[in-house]
Amino acid sequence: MIEYPEIDRYASLNSPMHRFDPRAKIIAFLFLIFSVVLIPDLKVAFIGLFFAIFLLILSRIPLSFVLGHLKWVAMFVLSFFVILAFTFPGKEMANFYFLSITAEGLYTGSLITVRAFSAVILIFPMIGTMRFDMTIKALDKLKVPNSLVQMLMFTYRYIFVFADEFQQMWTAMASRGFKLRTTLYALRTIGKVMGMLFVRSYERAERVYRAMRSRGYTGNPKTLVEFEIRRRDYILAAFIIGFAVSLHIISFAGVV
Amino acid sequence: MREAITVRNLSYAYPDGTGALEDVNMAVYEGERVAIVGPNGAGKTTFLLHLNGILRGSDGQVEVFGKSVDTLKREEIIKEVGIVFQDPDDQLFMPTIFDDLAFGPINLGLKEEEVRERVKKALLTLGLSGYEHRCPHHLSYGEKKKASLAAVMSMEPRILVLDEPTANLDPRSRAELIGIIKELNEREGITIVIATHDVNAIPALADRVYVLNKKIIAEGTPQKMFSDVELLRENNLEVPEVFKLFEVLRCFGYNCEELPLSIDEAVEHLTKTVAINGGHIHLHVHEHTHEAIRKLKSKYEHH
Repeated sequence: MIEYPEIDRYASLNSPMHRFDPRAKIIAFLFLIFSVVLIPDLKVAFIGLFFAIFLLILSRIPLSFVLGHLKWVAMFVLSFFVILAFTFPGKEMANFYFLSITAEGLYTGSLITVRAFSAVILIFPMIGTMRFDMTIKALDKLKVPNSLVQMLMFTYRYIFVFADEFQQMWTAMASRGFKLRTTLYALRTIGKVMGMLFVRSYERAERVYRAMRSRGYTGNPKTLVEFEIRRRDYILAAFIIGFAVSLHIISFAGVV
Repeated sequence: MREAITVRNLSYAYPDGTGALEDVNMAVYEGERVAIVGPNGAGKTTFLLHLNGILRGSDGQVEVFGKSVDTLKREEIIKEVGIVFQDPDDQLFMPTIFDDLAFGPINLGLKEEEVRERVKKALLTLGLSGYEHRCPHHLSYGEKKKASLAAVMSMEPRILVLDEPTANLDPRSRAELIGIIKELNEREGITIVIATHDVNAIPALADRVYVLNKKIIAEGTPQKMFSDVELLRENNLEVPEVFKLFEVLRCFGYNCEELPLSIDEAVEHLTKTVAINGGHIHLHVHEHTHEAIRKLKSKYEHH
């Protein structure tokens, strides 16, 4: 079986992050994420990272689950780190033939790496602590444009269907002897399969649209959901946003 | 009896010009159960899409309770006609089962309480209580199929149109779904229109059958249709196994005017025959039995 991209696998746990009102949670965390990625100082960025890890631990989402996802982010971000370290102009620290590492490069690279990891880690206590349909409904309640909400909604619904369809085609190919190699033939075959998948999804879209119209779809589907924001939620949101703001006050004042 | 669905001289061609339906006429009465059978690509699904105005012919060709679907507003049509499509992944497009069941009622403009009430009732009818917050991709095919029906039932239509309701189901889910459809018809008087290949389900689900192959080829009771060998052969149709078995029994001398189509009918028939013959059934092998069996087999050879 393929692994589904289930960000909300641990949505049924119980933690302060799980009990946090979805709307307040989304606003507070988005604020914090933007704050973290804009930190200009490496030491402050590390404080941000520790806070992100603290919130993650608070959410009780298993670390192995998070690390499994961070692996891909790490591959992407670390390549930036390496490139920046070697190409950023500044004081040379070491030489490898014609390449040199600069102190400024290392600093900038580390800053970007720490910020990126903090932001990605914060995603987990934010949307990993509620069912994804709740995230979508919260976004809808927060007046995110309806077409964007619908796009998210249908992506979430059909990504699994398409994943299954791709898996079926892959199995059908494998059972007739296809092996993935770096030959032109294999690449061409993959291209055709992708094409087939597009055709199928196009056809499915047509059928789904019929089913939607048959039940009165006019372009703005509404959902029923009961959210209740309590004092606790205000306090938690204020705490997170307050922390986000103070990160910038600290780095601006140069306290650390 | 009032006509629930009236179709007059309906023709339809796909955008590329291929003819899909030619001069189709049909009348479905209120509370009736009608099956539409026909080979693959005969235009069954295309036909069903005309019943709630998703596809349109020219004026006044499709009427629902005497009103043309062209003049009715969308909310008015979907309140009367609910279509359950074949692939539940097409039908269930919302993130959770609750959202999906609530989708139709919300679009009908019902109040929140009424919507919640309808969802609850539909879940109960289909035996899906407790599935409210499940995602469709976590359900089995049978559960998805039931949820699809629930999503249409929550709109409480007076006419229920089902496209291949029993396809790809395991025997238990199939029996459950047939039972539910039957009950909806008997208890709530819902008019049923079914497109199907499942001949063994027809006796339980249909009072009348239309054979569709671009045109309406034939119309009548299941009994009449299954007895017309030429019709079956030309349209790649099957007959129920019970029907075949009793034809075999007839070769062995079992006295049977009207062949039973389902197990229930068979039991009834056997009970009656046993009572008439003083507690026994006589079967025997004649000279012509083998010849009759051979003929019978060749009759169904094309299948």
